[in-house]
Amino acid sequence: MSDLSQHPLIDPSTFDLIVVGTGLPQSILAAAASASGKTVLHLDPNPYYGGHFATLPLHDLTSFLNSASAPLLPSPPLASYDNQDYVSVDLQTRSLYSDVEISSYAPEVLQEHARKFNIDLAGPRVLFCADKCIDAVLKVGVNQYLEFKSIDASYLWDQNGKLVNVPGSRAAIFKDKSLSLTEKNQLMRFFKLVQKHLDPAEDGESSKISQEDLDTPFSDFLNKLRLPQKMKSIILYAISMADSDQNDNDIGQNRLLTKEGIARLALYHTSIGRFQNAQGALLYPIYGQGELSQAFCRRAAVKGCLYVLRMPVVALLKDKSNEQYKGVRLASGQDIFSQQLVLDPCFIVPQLFKLSLESLQDVSSRDVNRKVARGICITKHSIVSDVKNCLLVYPPKTLFPEQVSSVRVLQIGGNLAVCPEDMFVIYISTLCDSANQGKEMVRAAMNSITLLFVSDCPDSSSVDQDTNAEGKDLDLLWSALYVQESSVGQFGTVSFTPMPDGSLNYDDLLNATFELFQKMYPNEELFPETTTAGDHQDDGEES
Amino acid sequence: MATSGNKNINAKLVLLGDVGAGKSSLVLRFVKGQFVEFQESTIGAAFFSQTLAVNDATVKFEIWDTAGQERYHSLAPMYYRGAAAAIIVYDITNQGSFDRAKKWVQELQAQGNPNMVMALAGNKSDLLDSRKVAAEDAQTYAQENGLFFMETSAKSAANQRDCRECNQYRIQPGWFWTDLLKGLQARHVARRTWFLVQF
Repeated sequence: MSDLSQHPLIDPSTFDLIVVGTGLPQSILAAAASASGKTVLHLDPNPYYGGHFATLPLHDLTSFLNSASAPLLPSPPLASYDNQDYVSVDLQTRSLYSDVEISSYAPEVLQEHARKFNIDLAGPRVLFCADKCIDAVLKVGVNQYLEFKSIDASYLWDQNGKLVNVPGSRAAIFKDKSLSLTEKNQLMRFFKLVQKHLDPAEDGESSKISQEDLDTPFSDFLNKLRLPQKMKSIILYAISMADSDQNDNDIGQNRLLTKEGIARLALYHTSIGRFQNAQGALLYPIYGQGELSQAFCRRAAVKGCLYVLRMPVVALLKDKSNEQYKGVRLASGQDIFSQQLVLDPCFIVPQLFKLSLESLQDVSSRDVNRKVARGICITKHSIVSDVKNCLLVYPPKTLFPEQVSSVRVLQIGGNLAVCPEDMFVIYISTLCDSANQGKEMVRAAMNSITLLFVSDCPDSSSVDQDTNAEGKDLDLLWSALYVQESSVGQFGTVSFTPMPDGSLNYDDLLNATFELFQKMYPNEELFPETTTAGDHQDDGEES
Repeated sequence: MATSGNKNINAKLVLLGDVGAGKSSLVLRFVKGQFVEFQESTIGAAFFSQTLAVNDATVKFEIWDTAGQERYHSLAPMYYRGAAAAIIVYDITNQGSFDRAKKWVQELQAQGNPNMVMALAGNKSDLLDSRKVAAEDAQTYAQENGLFFMETSAKSAANQRDCRECNQYRIQPGWFWTDLLKGLQARHVARRTWFLVQF
C-alpha cells in the first residue's frame, strides 16, 4: 500500500464505466460492456482476481477470512472541498464475513503442498451443463480459456441416515438396484409426464400439467402423483435443490411451486447428455471456480478493458453543480472519471450521496435477509470410496430436528487440480437466519461426513450417528467455518453487484447481472453474436 | 501442458514482456508472416494458433497474448496455467524492458509449470544503432537460468526463414522456433491425463 503513490498513472483518466471488484458478476459486466464498445476500467484492491468468488491458496484464504471478518472502525465520511468542480466523499466498507473458525490439524503436510491448493471462497458451487452460466461461457467464447470435468455422482442423505444414489437419467433409473420395480415405474411415469409437459410439439391440453397444479406447491403435486417418500426427497432436494422443508406449510413463499420445480427438473434433464464427454448433469472448472472470473476478465481485456489489480478505491467524486456521481479517487491519489460505476457489495456509499437505488429482481431475493453458512474441509478420505467428485445433499431435518434448510456438500478431488492427488476438498453450505443456527447445521454435516470416512461401505450399510469416530482427526487435515452475508444487486448511477448466494449454481446471480447490464445500457444487446466472430484472429483452421 | 497422441501435440505457449517490447509483433510474424510498423497496444487479439511439423509429429501451438493485462501487472494465474512454453520478450533498445524480462522469468519460475520451456527473445534487432542491452549480457543471463536465447526482429525477419518461403509453406520458424520445439520434446512435457470436458 505504501508505494501506491508511486503507482504509474492510469491513462486515460476518463471511462464510460468503472467496475470495482473482480467477482464473477463484475467480470461478466466488464466483459459485456467492453463487448458493446464501452471504455471500461476494472479495478480490484486485491492482488488476485475473483473477489468474493475467488479461488485462493490455503493461506491466502485464511488471511482473507480473518481480515474480512475483522470489525471495522466506522470513520465518519469526510468530504473535502479541495477541488474546483467536484467534491470527494470517502467510501466506507462493511464486513460481509463473520464467525470465522479455522483449524489446521496437519500444518506441516499442508505446508509441504501449499502451492497445490486452489480453494473456493463461495463453495459449494457447480455448473449445470445446460445452465445460464455455461450458455454465457459458450456465447462469449471464454470456453477456450477453461476446462471442466464432470461431477461423478450425486447422493441424498435419507431419513434413515443412508446415502441414496440420485439417478440422473432414465438409463440410471433402470440400472439402479436400490429401486424396486414399482418405484422405477412410478419414477418413469413421472418423468414422462414432465417431458410431455415441456415438449413444445405436444399441444393437447391433456399432455400439459394444469395451470392449477403449476401454481400449487411442488410437494403437493408430487403427493398427488403418489410418489414414494424417497422419490419425493430426491426430486425436491437433490434435483430441484429446494432449500426449506417442503412439507412444512409454515414456510410460505419458500415453498417451491410446481412450475418452478418443473423448470428445475428440466434444467437437470437437459444438462444430462448435453456434452458428449460429460457424464452427469454437473460440471466443475479445473483449478476452481475462480477461473470463471479470470476468463471473463481476460475476454474483457481482449475487448479493450483496462485491468489494475492491487488498487483500492478510497472515495467517490461528486459533481458540485448537479450533485451527481462523477468519478472515483484511487488509493494512489489519482482521480478517475466515468459515466457509471459498479461497486463491490462491501462498500457503503455515504449519505452525502443521494443515490436512488433499485433492487434487482433476482429470484434469490426471497433469501436476501438470510445468511449463508459455509464450511470447507480438506481430507485424506473420500465421502464415498472410489468416488472423487460428488455432491451430497442433507435435506432439512435429516441431520437433526432443528435443521431448517438443506445442507449441500460438494467433494472435489485432486484430479480437478484443487489439491494434491491424494486429498479431497469438501465444501458445505446452508442458508440460515442467524450465524449460530448456520454454524450448527454446517458442524452437524461435518460430523456426519467424518463418520462416513470411518464406515467402509457407506453405500450399503446405515451409519449410526452415535458411532464413536476415533481417529477421524487423522483424516481431517484442515477445516474452516464462516458465515457470509447476502446482498442483492442494486442499480443506480452507482450500482452494486450481488454477493454469492446460497444456490448451487450461478443462475440467479447471472439473472441479476444481466438485468443490471440491461438497466445500465438499455439500448445495448448483451454479448451480441458478433463478439465471438472476430475472436480468434487466427484459429489455425487455415494452417 | 502439451498433449500428445497420434503424434499430434498441443502446446500452450505464453508471451511475456514489457508493454511495447514487441510480443504481438513477434507472434504476428510467426503466424502470419507479416509486420505492422506501428502496432497498437494489444486489443482484440489474444489467442493465436499455429501448427508446425517437426520430424514425424505436428505441434499445434496455442499462443496466448497478454491482452494488455500486463500493463499494470495484472495478469491472472490462468495465463500461466498449463503453459508448456513461454517466450519472454524484451526490447534491445530499452534496458528497463530487459530488467523487467528478468522479473517475468522469476515469476514464471515461481508460478509456472516446472517443466516449462522458456525462451528469452531480444526483439527489435534491426535497430542496432539504438542498442542498450548487450547480446552477451542477455546470453549469459539466459545460460545461467536455463533459457533459450536469441535476438529477433519481427520487422526484418532475422533468424526467421525467408519470407517467400514463409508464404509458400504458411509456417516458418527459424531455428529459434525449432529449438523451442526440440526443448519441448526433450523435456517430455507431461502428457495430460485428465478427462476433460471441452466444448
